[in-house]
Amino acid sequence: MARMALLVSPELCIGCRGCQSACKEWNGLPAVKTVNRGTFENPPDLTGADYNRIRFMEVPSAQDAQRWLFVSQRCMHCGDAACMKICPSSGALFRAKNGAVVFDKGKCIGCKLCGSACPYGLIRFDQANKVSKCHLCHDRTEAGLTPACVKTCPSGALKYGDRDKLAAEASAAGYSNLYGEADLGGTGVLYAFKDSPKVYGMLQNPAFPAEVHFWSGIKSLAYLGLGATVAASALHYLVIGPHKEEGEEVKKDE
Amino acid sequence: MSRMVKKAGAFEIVNHWMLAGSCLVLALSGFAFVFHLDGVAALFGGFPPMRAWHNISGVVFAVSLFLTVFSYLPVSLSFSADDMKWLSMGGGYLSRNKKELPPQDKLNTGQKLYYLVLLGMGAVMSASGFTIWLLGNKGLVLLSYFAHNLFFVFFMVAIPVHIYLGTFANPGTLRIMLSGKVPLDWARRRYGKWVSRMGLG
Amino acid sequence: MTNHWIDFRNADVILVMGANPAENHPIAMKWIARARERGAKLVVVDPRFTKTASKADLYAPIRPGTDIAFLGGLINYILQKGLYFREYVVNYTNASYLVNPEFKGPGQLEGLFSGYNEKARQYDKKTWSFQMDEAAGVPRKDPSLRDPHSVFQLMKQQYSRYSLERVSAITGTPADKLAAVYQAYASTGRPGRAGTELYAMGWTQHTVGTQNIRAMSIIQLLLGNVGIAGGGINALRGESNVQGSTDHGLLFNSLPGYLSVPTASMADLAAYNDKNTPKSKDAKSVNWWSNKPKYMVSYLKAIYGAHAKKENDFCYAWLPKLDEGMNASWLMIFDNMIKGRYEGFFAWGQNPACSGANSNKVRKGLAKLEWMVNVNLFDNETGSFWRGPGVNPADIQTEVFLLPACSSVEKEGSITNSGRLAQWRRKAIEPIGQSRPDAEIMNELYFRVKGLYRKEGGKSPAPILELAWDYGAPGPDGKIEKVDISRVAMEINGYYLEDVWDKKAVPPKQLGKKGALCASFVTLQADGSTSCGNWIYSQSYTQKDGKAVNMMARRSKEDPTGLGLFAGWAWAWPVNRRILYNRAGVDPNGSPWDPKRAVIKWEALAIDKVTGKPGLWKGDVPDGPAPPLAAKGGKYPFIMKPDGMGAIFGPGLVDGPFPEHYEPLESPLQANPMSAKVRINPAARMFYTAQGGLPEDVFANADPRFPIVGTTYRVTEHWQTGVLTRHLPWQMELQPQQFVELSTELAGQKDIKSGDKVTVSSARGKVWAVAIVTERFRPVMVMGKVVHQVGLPWCYGWQYPTDGSGGDSSNLLTPTIGDANTLIPETKAFMVNVQKA
Ligand code: SF4
Ligand code: SF4
Ligand code: SF4
Repeated sequence: MARMALLVSPELCIGCRGCQSACKEWNGLPAVKTVNRGTFENPPDLTGADYNRIRFMEVPSAQDAQRWLFVSQRCMHCGDAACMKICPSSGALFRAKNGAVVFDKGKCIGCKLCGSACPYGLIRFDQANKVSKCHLCHDRTEAGLTPACVKTCPSGALKYGDRDKLAAEASAAGYSNLYGEADLGGTGVLYAFKDSPKVYGMLQNPAFPAEVHFWSGIKSLAYLGLGATVAASALHYLVIGPHKEEGEEVKKDE
Repeated sequence: MSRMVKKAGAFEIVNHWMLAGSCLVLALSGFAFVFHLDGVAALFGGFPPMRAWHNISGVVFAVSLFLTVFSYLPVSLSFSADDMKWLSMGGGYLSRNKKELPPQDKLNTGQKLYYLVLLGMGAVMSASGFTIWLLGNKGLVLLSYFAHNLFFVFFMVAIPVHIYLGTFANPGTLRIMLSGKVPLDWARRRYGKWVSRMGLG
Repeated sequence: MTNHWIDFRNADVILVMGANPAENHPIAMKWIARARERGAKLVVVDPRFTKTASKADLYAPIRPGTDIAFLGGLINYILQKGLYFREYVVNYTNASYLVNPEFKGPGQLEGLFSGYNEKARQYDKKTWSFQMDEAAGVPRKDPSLRDPHSVFQLMKQQYSRYSLERVSAITGTPADKLAAVYQAYASTGRPGRAGTELYAMGWTQHTVGTQNIRAMSIIQLLLGNVGIAGGGINALRGESNVQGSTDHGLLFNSLPGYLSVPTASMADLAAYNDKNTPKSKDAKSVNWWSNKPKYMVSYLKAIYGAHAKKENDFCYAWLPKLDEGMNASWLMIFDNMIKGRYEGFFAWGQNPACSGANSNKVRKGLAKLEWMVNVNLFDNETGSFWRGPGVNPADIQTEVFLLPACSSVEKEGSITNSGRLAQWRRKAIEPIGQSRPDAEIMNELYFRVKGLYRKEGGKSPAPILELAWDYGAPGPDGKIEKVDISRVAMEINGYYLEDVWDKKAVPPKQLGKKGALCASFVTLQADGSTSCGNWIYSQSYTQKDGKAVNMMARRSKEDPTGLGLFAGWAWAWPVNRRILYNRAGVDPNGSPWDPKRAVIKWEALAIDKVTGKPGLWKGDVPDGPAPPLAAKGGKYPFIMKPDGMGAIFGPGLVDGPFPEHYEPLESPLQANPMSAKVRINPAARMFYTAQGGLPEDVFANADPRFPIVGTTYRVTEHWQTGVLTRHLPWQMELQPQQFVELSTELAGQKDIKSGDKVTVSSARGKVWAVAIVTERFRPVMVMGKVVHQVGLPWCYGWQYPTDGSGGDSSNLLTPTIGDANTLIPETKAFMVNVQKA
């Protein structure tokens, strides 16, 4: 399957948050108790029960008193996913056929290492400390459906499709800045921006954590070290041999 | 048949086995974590239970390691000219042609050094392990993650060496971990200083 | 709507004023986005920089309640610059008609039109009439539009007073923004450019609500934007089926299909018909309402069945009548209720304790009832009014019953959206618990009431006992066990009760066979041979090859015109016409003004298969089959108007034939800057006067205690008063609490920070709210002084969430006054104060 992507176009988003409700409904996520903090935005952050959310941002604009931006936030589905790399459990985070980074709570060990590794800080955990994040609706996409949030989006701010095609369409429609196109092996969530990503409050130059990167480069040393030591011991035994026991001959040191 | 002397007490023996056991579980599960070894994980009932094994073993390991301090730290910190000599002779491990080594205390020089290194590595391993487990700070967790892994490699080198030296390389040594008793002759040859210090003849 | 949702994508300029579709009609934004992709401009005029404004190419702020000033300025701009579509205006509107020389406008009469009676707060509309050509019996015209008595000149005169500067001073819209909006919108006056207007409660809920829409209709007629794709004037209705319920006689003064409710003076059907059937002597005018007697008789046949006979006037006498001049709309219901005039009350699918303007008055009114039946999905602030804030349950005698209704997905039936599209919905799941579909509840109620009448008798039992109620198989006791909603739909469509013939045709042609479902309202008869529950829905459930066909359940995705008409998807009234007045979208020869977006088109040479004669309309269903105006037998486009013309001069309304700016009941100004003597709509009914009134009805104009302009609105996450959505934890997570939006300037003055709890108060009540301090609300300069504005949603209520964390309805603040024509309450402009709680 070609790599698929979710294209977010904040210029089209109307902040209706159908996507937030649809995600909760499809994934059976419980509501989170919130208060109004003096903004339309809620919940204040992603949670284990909120795989996506709209950030509401009032930014200055040349034309009007305000520019009101609605920017969808969720896991980026990195091409080179630090969360997957760091995860100690096999299959807890895995790459789906469409390129999504998907979790399997049954295999998640709850160590939360992925949470520390995600360059964007987009991973959350549920009450049982299991990884909880957008999975690009793995169950739906596997069955040939579009993700629930995309399905519900009335404005076209969320689109799901062939990654290359979506990228080409966005450029053709005059979006000068395709956030995520080249970051971290190319992300599976792309943002079509007309301004610099900074305006939309996006992380500038996301970086794969060096520790994870370096370790995965050298991790075979563990095998190597073990193997080499065992081999060396055996060699020693054969070549030099052990300290002799009863009746051994020991030369007195002069 | 020589008289048997008590080289290690029950506390020491049990603690050593706890250390060894936890270390084995940690290493095995560690390997499974690093390399996603489903077969190994299956031994533990899958990855999530394996994490519990790993964490609990980590606690056992840390505690046992700490308890070794009482058994080995003082002696490990006492160095003398004999130790230098022992070292210069490579502990006798470097040649088939065995020469007589300077008399050794409860631990020989190699064992003392090994212990100190192990104590340090174990401390790093425990501290980083607990950080990953219990602290939420991203930077610290990532650093600990790296240290934990790196020292895992070191352990993978250190442990087989230790086992080899305690078994094949020095026949009879294993008795210290089993009954704690060794023949006096044997002890005199290897831990002469200790034998005399203890007044065992 | 004259047009429909998908049609927004065909527009070149979309003016959103009095609406916030991004918040309240999200799907509209999809089509608006499509239009913008094509290069269309979105213009938003709103007191607040809304979600819709965030997508706009041009945004202009406005003070609530000054839309007519704003639009009057636009009319002036169009006329002064000559940007109107002359051919359209001359041929298709009444601009050229000559008005009674005695007619005087507000420019001459200091804010009033001629014929005002101050005591009655009413106009005598005698002078609001046209000069008649006695011989022909049609109004006199001046196609040059120069006659000083012509509608065109009178309009020009009235709106010449609406200069840019003056409008800016009234509305608070900066003059440059005003000019930019005018320029953008007036650019659609050329053929080939389409401008549409989207409005909602932001226009209707004012003392001048109807005139707000009239003002825009005038603009649309001047620019030739009615009847074309991407044009029209489009009400975004506030509920998914409010169009349907209005179509079916929801309002106190209309029967299904907008037939007027008879008044006491209309003693018999003949009198009713005489009073209600418009006449025209102009051969070119279709005057469709001249068919009204057919629709009325067919309606009576539908509801009284075989009992309705020619001999008994089709049971016309059984219809309830309004007293002369009686108003029984929303505000009046609660006014009468608080005055103790009602014994019982059905709150069916509503929550007046939160949705009603001046909710305190409503809540007090409820306490005067002996009984109340609350039919709803959940208990709400209305059903629980007796334990509401400040109410001691021991003091309340009202007995309250809750009848649990099921939700829309638990039942089958039709809903009609704003685009007049009736869509059939199937049941997804069985009703939960004891809840039942509304129709079942009504059925139960009907048979019980009928049983009581039968047993105990009572005043005028016949209309109940003889009501045609044939919606399913009766059980042994005669009661219908289960309502078959399709049978209701078929009754609405209507049946041929006899064989029906077109006797004028040679040879006579059979229109319908006895017992069959009616083909359309064109075949309805006034002699009792047809029945029809709602004439505008005739054709929604027809018959093909002897089988009933539910047209509303159609699901074809074909769109041959490419304009998004989707004629095979569901069914739109009337007769599946997707764009109303489409005959105005073509020139008098039948060629579309804009060939690229032709809604209909006359093909003079094509053969009409039905008549066998040349001449055929292609495209949408035309407004009547007659040929275009210039052809032989051609007709005027506005077939629902007696004279066939788009009404620039509209004498039908009670408050003036042209819209004039009046201040809201509560405004920051002492006087109306347009006309010093008449501050508010002179024809609006006053509940509180200089002579006094109920304390609940007080108002505070230009009162230093309440110096801030307030307005209300909704949020995407909640449905109306939130009865359905406040019980959904997911929605509460998104919008948990009552809030008030205010400018950084005002917040600074009041030392309020975002997230602070504040109290908003008016002359009638107060609510607490969380402050959202934002740049999106700005103070405006009105008549040289700074006016602050705030806004609150009305989606919350004390009863749920039970911990009270949601807050209460902002309608506790709104006044008791309504539009002069409809009495729709003025909840969009009132005066408040805001303080840190
Ligand atoms: S954004 Fe974070 S959680 Fe998502 S794939 Fe990338 S690293 Fe993993
Ligand atoms: S793709 Fe699915 S899981 Fe991800 S945010 Fe959308 S609805 Fe939620
Ligand atoms: S559903 Fe679409 S338009 Fe609505 S908030 Fe989500 S992304 Fe924006």
